[in-house]
Amino acid sequence: MTAPLFKYGLFGDEASLIVAFLIGIGFGFFLERAGFGSARKLTAQFYLTDLAVFKVMFTAIVTAGLGLFYLSWAGLLDLSLVYLAPTYLLPQVVGGLLLGFGFVVGGYCPGTSMVAIATGKVDGLLFALGIFAGVLAFGEAFPWIAGFYNSTARGPLTLPQATGIPYGLLLFAVVLIALGGFYGSELLERRHAAQAGEARP
Amino acid sequence: MKRLSLAGLSVNQKLAALAVVLGAVAVFGAPSGGSPMGDREFAINPRELAVMVAGEVDHVTAEELAGWILAGRSDYRLLDVRDAGAYAAYHVPTAESVPLAELPGYPLYRNEKVVLYSDGGIHSAQAWFLLKAQGFPGVYILLGGLDAWKDEVLFPALPAGAAAAEVAAFERRKQVAAFFGGTPRSGEEAVAPGAGGAMPTIEMPQVQMPAAAPVARPVKKKKEGC
Repeated sequence: MTAPLFKYGLFGDEASLIVAFLIGIGFGFFLERAGFGSARKLTAQFYLTDLAVFKVMFTAIVTAGLGLFYLSWAGLLDLSLVYLAPTYLLPQVVGGLLLGFGFVVGGYCPGTSMVAIATGKVDGLLFALGIFAGVLAFGEAFPWIAGFYNSTARGPLTLPQATGIPYGLLLFAVVLIALGGFYGSELLERRHAAQAGEARP
Repeated sequence: MKRLSLAGLSVNQKLAALAVVLGAVAVFGAPSGGSPMGDREFAINPRELAVMVAGEVDHVTAEELAGWILAGRSDYRLLDVRDAGAYAAYHVPTAESVPLAELPGYPLYRNEKVVLYSDGGIHSAQAWFLLKAQGFPGVYILLGGLDAWKDEVLFPALPAGAAAAEVAAFERRKQVAAFFGGTPRSGEEAVAPGAGGAMPTIEMPQVQMPAAAPVARPVKKKKEGC
């Protein structure tokens, strides 16, 4: 059996929706368990007082990266069939900044706002309404921004392709960067905890 | 000598150590020759292909395809493997022209769903094998080719004495035909071609989509995020 299972026809379009539903439930569950249903927890990231978002997301990246590498090595996964979102350099930089801006102001990203709604948070609901309003505005304005939207296209691009660094070496570097980042964030959090302790009378 | 004890480490530290070990080992082994997207060696499995052909799982009917185009789906690529002249004369809206000889070098990603068509079914079936041999898993053939597209979508016919359900379905097909610029046939007209007489000369509609038809490959973006 080779993955991606859908691409190898293990299940069809309809069944894939059920699989997506189950994966989505799992994703939401773990986001909630990581504390990401709370806007306070999420925005603490940007004040460097609680780096849980960074740690959880980078852990996921390293886990997935190692998993994909070894599954592919073992012949259980055909990486060339895994969907890669195509790269559009400038639009993605601008979009990333916009998303980050909204994240800081609103306290959520799209996925975590759904988690917040599931746990009954009104701010999450308002945030999601904002998303839909934004989607609508984007759709209406699309004819004017389509040119920019499709500019600087690079196609599906991976780090080994873009840098020329061998895949395995690059993966190792990502692992080390992640672990260094985790160590650094724990130091930051400890320092903040100490300061908070001093501030208390 | 002090023994390194795993018990003294926290779960996080153990996981971190595991990640380092796995990452370090990865440096020395690389799937597909160092590039994740590199050419995998691909072994053709004739039996598997034969089962696929016999099972007819690789077919898309003209009506299904029309539905996809109507719905504006962009999760597949429609390739016209006839020569450029035939393509210029008429092609299914949204199709890209890829004459059979140019297919092997045509820029396609292996993770794309590809639908092929030719006039009948022979060239598209041959193109199917070419792509399968290159390891494309999601290759489909328009069942009956352009002939079926004409019969079922552009110029659908209602046989005389059809049941009520068939008439209802035909009403829907008439609308689809109108969308693609065709004209439905009914009554005696429909019987004529089947009766052994000469096929009436069919005027092919001008290719034009109500919405601007993408000439280049359709842009598709998938939204992903946390």
